Amino acid sequence: MTASSTASRTLPILDAHGAVDHAAGAERFTADVDRTTWHDGALWFVREKRDRGAASVPEWERLRDLASAIKSHTLSRLDEYLERFERRATARGIQVHWARDGAEHNEIVLGILAARGARRLVKSKSMLTEECGLNAHLERHGIEVVDTDLGERIVQLRNEPPSHIVMPAIHLKKEEIGATFHEKLGTPAGLADPDALTAAARRHLRERFLGADAAMTGVNFAIAETGGVVVITNEGNADLGTALAPVYIASMGIEKLIPRAADLGVFLRLLARSATGQASSVYASHVHGPRPGQAMHVVLVDNGRSTQLGRGDFWGSLKCIRCAACLNTCPVYRRSGGYSYGSTIPGPIGSVLTPGLDVRKYAALPFASTLCGSCSAVCPVKVDLDQQLYRWRQLVMAAGGAPPLKRWWLRAMGGVLADPALLQLAGRVARGMLRVLPPRLARRLAGGWGTGRALPEPPRGSFRDWVRANRPGRS
Amino acid sequence: MSAREEILRAVRAARVATFGNAAPALPSLPTVGEWPGGADGAQATRSALVDRFMVSAQGAAARVVRTTRAGVAQLAASVADSLRVDGDGARDPVVLSMVDAVHGNMAVPDDPHELATLDLFVCEGEIGVAESSAIWLPTSRLGQRAALLLATEVIVVLESAAIVADLHAAYAAVDVGRESFGLFLAGPSKTADIEQSLVIGAHGAKGLTVALIDG
Repeated sequence: MTASSTASRTLPILDAHGAVDHAAGAERFTADVDRTTWHDGALWFVREKRDRGAASVPEWERLRDLASAIKSHTLSRLDEYLERFERRATARGIQVHWARDGAEHNEIVLGILAARGARRLVKSKSMLTEECGLNAHLERHGIEVVDTDLGERIVQLRNEPPSHIVMPAIHLKKEEIGATFHEKLGTPAGLADPDALTAAARRHLRERFLGADAAMTGVNFAIAETGGVVVITNEGNADLGTALAPVYIASMGIEKLIPRAADLGVFLRLLARSATGQASSVYASHVHGPRPGQAMHVVLVDNGRSTQLGRGDFWGSLKCIRCAACLNTCPVYRRSGGYSYGSTIPGPIGSVLTPGLDVRKYAALPFASTLCGSCSAVCPVKVDLDQQLYRWRQLVMAAGGAPPLKRWWLRAMGGVLADPALLQLAGRVARGMLRVLPPRLARRLAGGWGTGRALPEPPRGSFRDWVRANRPGRS
Repeated sequence: MSAREEILRAVRAARVATFGNAAPALPSLPTVGEWPGGADGAQATRSALVDRFMVSAQGAAARVVRTTRAGVAQLAASVADSLRVDGDGARDPVVLSMVDAVHGNMAVPDDPHELATLDLFVCEGEIGVAESSAIWLPTSRLGQRAALLLATEVIVVLESAAIVADLHAAYAAVDVGRESFGLFLAGPSKTADIEQSLVIGAHGAKGLTVALIDG
């Protein structure tokens, strides 16, 4: 696979106004029918594991209620918890930094590395640093950045962004990964065995860990009461990096705070089961200060989060703990792929977070949903995702964010649905047309619904006619 | 205005706009005995907790060996033996032990990079969690925590009396801020990033053996 064809597959498709065209991105993905089916199945497999994990805990719903309530409370007093965390962390020898946006975050990180003369950075998975575009910034300044999560290393070697927030390379087949490793790591051509490929990555990354000048991680939870951060992985990459390097930088969005260490009992029981179905992730590390001789920094990043907190309809999206259960269950995400969303975080949660950054550019995302509500049903912290998607749609429409034809069509449909006589007339016309028009033309008139579908046999009469004939006296 | 001041001011304004002065209360957490779960809950007998722990460990791809304090040395010797390299480049396994019963051939180094060739690391856990087989390991029990990741095989000694039902009980029993580092460890390092195929031994240990001591 050449770099250019990779880029064309992963870059968001933009319309004439520079807005993400999710439908076009989805079409690009679904053009490969087999891959679409396979992707759908791979994610559904994870969703089923999540279901078994959730069912194994009798008090699952109580945990969800508690997690949601703890997050709501924390967000309602976030400034106080941030100050408390800063005070306690500082007392433990952790240097706390504040960044208004991604650019400021990147400057802070670069500054820390430059002050130590660090050139080689190992980084465990952090969607925040993706959001800030950190890698490109550091590389421009001569820092070698190695993503160490296996999935993230795979996409980094391919010059692609992650397509999923927990499984960054979920869109790739093992043969493609084998080809990338052959090209970049010198594995034998044709090697596609997951065990062998993982072993090759382990050897390659072990050298990078041992040679790193600095390590970075994201943060799953920050404890206000104790001033520590919790970082969770299955691979051990966050721990290996921070256990070796003389400089450790943890970057976190300001919404990651929780009040008490005991709250982790609630969140950790939910997180691993929601993400992968595991009862526990392998490594749940609680860091309350640097190792002897190490410097430890925490960067607190806003980048639009305080704005989202002030939005009465959308603040609840900040409760998210990034388990990706909503992605795995979403019928649209599963069949359109992460890249179709054109945002760092795809899927339902991305579609309510990202429009908050730029509602014009991401106007299409709230429509990338069937509003089936499956996302809200699996969310471990009870974010009302479907409600927020619906609310964003209203805001997008009110802001004139839909194409004129769609606006006209929706207004006309509204008029027809509101007028019983008109609706009956429309039904009669539609049944007649379906009977006389050639299927090809009828499909065309059905717009998007006609694509890839056979239109139904037109019924002889309406439901109203049927009731009148079969249930006299009840119409 | 500094970034700190600006962010705090924006957060304050936003949360007041959203919540006003009627903030949702911080829920008090149920006490350990209040959680349901019957035999799996806080009232469970010791043997039920141990059974649950063993099932969870199997799910996490960890091996559990029930033994005695004296038996740990033998267990460590057999695991170390399995790591012996014969023939070309033959060498004895490098063993680092944080428990009295096992004598390693390496001391805790000041520089964790010296652990790059570690074969076996032995340490003792503080609390075990029956529902997930996670074991709490504070840094004082690890020496250099890199040992846990760099060793090919890890043995964690755990008193069966230290097993509690769930994470709520575990957090009630440990003070996570007492030391600068501590972790819950459940099983060997693993990944499923290539086509969802589970592979044991991503970056950290390829095998985890829990030596369960019935005392």
